[in-house]
Amino acid sequence: MLKDEFRYAAKFLTHRKLRSWLTMLGIFIGIAAVVALVSLSQGLQVAIEEQFAKIGTDKIIISPKGAFSAGLESDVTQLTLRDKKRVEDVPSIDEVAVYLTTVGRLSLDDENIPVFVGSLPSDDSRQLVRDLYTADLEQGRTFREGEAKIIIGDDFVRTRVLERELRLGDKILLNDVQFEVIGVMERIGDPGIDGGVLMDEKQFRDLFEIDDDNAGTLIARVQGSANIDLVAERIERSLRNGRGLDAGKEDFSVQTPEDLIATFNTIFAIVQAVLIGIAAISLLVGGIGITNTMYTAVLERTNEIGVMKAIGARNEDVLRLFLFESGLLGLIGGAIGVALGMGIAKMVEILATQAFGTPLIQASFPIYLIVGALMFAFVVGIASGVLPAYQAAKLQPVEALRYE
Amino acid sequence: MSNLFRFYGRFAVNTFRKRKLRSLLTMLGIFIGIAAIVSLISLGQGLQTAIAAQFQALGTDRIIIQPKSALFAPPGQLSVTQLSEADLDRIEDVPGVARVASRLLKNAKIEYNDQVKFHLVASMPDKADGRRLVEESLRLTAAKGRLIESGDRKKVVVGNSFLDKDLFGRAIKTGDSILINDETFRVVGILEKLGNPGFDDAVLIPEKAMQELYNVPGEVSAIIAQSAPGLVPEEVGDRIARRLRTFRDVDEGKEDFTVQTTGELLDAFENILNVVTAVLVGIAFISLLVGGIGITNTMYTSVLERTNDIGVMKAIGAKNKDVLFIFMFESGLLGLVGGTIGVLIGYGFGKIVEFGAAQALGSGLIQAAFPPYLIIGSLAFSFIVGGIAGTLPAIQASRMNPVDALRHS
Repeated sequence: MLKDEFRYAAKFLTHRKLRSWLTMLGIFIGIAAVVALVSLSQGLQVAIEEQFAKIGTDKIIISPKGAFSAGLESDVTQLTLRDKKRVEDVPSIDEVAVYLTTVGRLSLDDENIPVFVGSLPSDDSRQLVRDLYTADLEQGRTFREGEAKIIIGDDFVRTRVLERELRLGDKILLNDVQFEVIGVMERIGDPGIDGGVLMDEKQFRDLFEIDDDNAGTLIARVQGSANIDLVAERIERSLRNGRGLDAGKEDFSVQTPEDLIATFNTIFAIVQAVLIGIAAISLLVGGIGITNTMYTAVLERTNEIGVMKAIGARNEDVLRLFLFESGLLGLIGGAIGVALGMGIAKMVEILATQAFGTPLIQASFPIYLIVGALMFAFVVGIASGVLPAYQAAKLQPVEALRYE
Repeated sequence: MSNLFRFYGRFAVNTFRKRKLRSLLTMLGIFIGIAAIVSLISLGQGLQTAIAAQFQALGTDRIIIQPKSALFAPPGQLSVTQLSEADLDRIEDVPGVARVASRLLKNAKIEYNDQVKFHLVASMPDKADGRRLVEESLRLTAAKGRLIESGDRKKVVVGNSFLDKDLFGRAIKTGDSILINDETFRVVGILEKLGNPGFDDAVLIPEKAMQELYNVPGEVSAIIAQSAPGLVPEEVGDRIARRLRTFRDVDEGKEDFTVQTTGELLDAFENILNVVTAVLVGIAFISLLVGGIGITNTMYTSVLERTNDIGVMKAIGAKNKDVLFIFMFESGLLGLVGGTIGVLIGYGFGKIVEFGAAQALGSGLIQAAFPPYLIIGSLAFSFIVGGIAGTLPAIQASRMNPVDALRHS
């Protein structure tokens, strides 16, 4: 049905090759910018959501309020082993682990640096804390109960935090006590983990003088079949009652991974909207370029339009002819733009991976992005062509024929 | 020469008039791009000026000493080594240091109207000159009641945001009692609004009360020093660093503390802001590129339509150079007119954002700034974009063979 329209448009596009190319250039630069930005931010979002997914959607994190950073000890309030017992007693809870963190002083040669230190429990709940780290061991093994040994983050084997590269078997001082490096975690791109160390919970309590009753942060695993939000609510109620607090006066917080993702996504969406909004301005300018080209095309072909109308073309036929042509300008521009945008995003991905040493920034090209960008370019083309096409359709055949 | 330009101008204006719609659309492309860039730069500049002004008010002669911390965190929070009052004494003795004050910052549980919030609490020095230094540095003034004074014990001064009903379900008044870590403090004053969330949320209590509350006698989170008038703060800062290195017995480059002047802090801040502005302007720049391509396109069409004119011009003696100039001038003018409208719209847009932000944030932090270089630069730039965009079409026009051009129809 659209064969004639297509042939007519194609003829014009090849006849005024330079003008058509320049018009499409405007569209494809805009589309390329938008596609590259969307794909990179999508990729970043996916990568971060994957990190959360690795933690597991079945975990609930209970921490005392008043800490500056999740997991760090609070100046003000503490969770205790009795709180741990209360969480364990909540129905649908499988297992609860204690996770202690602090900042320690790491010394090697004559360097002293502050470093994040986390604890791993000695019992079966160890895996629960390991899940939170999402990093697997790259070298070595984990320590046994009570061993004065540590697992280090990837930054330490790359001279990112110390002047000397650490290796398995090296000895370092933590708050003036000697520890042996026994394992290295793989790099995940989180500075707290890549630049941190892990040690046995008993050693941790001795070294930092944490009293035995302090439960740090609690990590609870929920049975697969249970509704995690409901369980989180039950934990909150049980702890509130146990600690004798009224609603609204909690000195602890109960968070599910969904809560964390939701916060993150809100911030991310705003940044994304600003960047893409600014990039979309160029698409608007490109659309104006199409309008301009189409006005010129209508003007140049006034005689042709006269002939078409004289031999029986209706207004709507002429309208459709020109709309199709401007849509095609948009679509071809969009297709090249999508390809170019994908190329740019891939390049940024490669550069970023080399610069950060971790594949955190991944270009992602979901189908909806590609199809959506093409459709959008087509729509921009048609919308830009509406006024010129309407002008062409309205022409009086006699006057159009007489035009020079 | 001026005659020649008048001719160029008339020629260009004639085409604009004849092809009004096309010229307008072409300029539309340019002025959208210029407007985006002008408003982004003006807001970035304005923000920078506003922040620099805050630092100026704070005084460029201040030096801040804090323990090195693991990540971005309030002073002294995520660090292993602490500063102490002994360090404060050392700094006081450094030649060129006029006044010093120590600050202690801790997180606290705050209870009021049966609601609990966790909040940063900061100490105010007991000694009058140190306290004055902190007050001047942070520009603290009481909107209601008074500030902390020597001899105060369980007294507290809170930031302006505590007047907001939403925070504790009820606005705090002077004379009220609040619980800080379960101990009762009486509110003696509420600070004037500063427009900076960090300070508007402040909870200030006397140094002694704070050390008792947390049982940390002698602990210090950060030290503010003021260099004596006429001295270079950076040099005094170096002297402080040297003294502390000796006292704490650490080598240069291995310090467990940092010494920064307000000037250095401002520089660090401006660097970040410059990068953000550059990224945004870079993306906005793409639309100007697309607008430039629009000019090229219009000029090619224009050359095509006037092939006969060009033939006549050449036949009566116009040189290649003349034809080149005519078309370059025309496309430059397209850019310039587009740029002028763009600057006006960008100005308006920047002012609207400034107004909207002032309404939303209740502070004049976001100001649109329009230094002359921005306006003149944008105009010059849009003229150049127009000229460059017209180069290829103009060259094509100038190289036309007069006979072929005349024969063209």
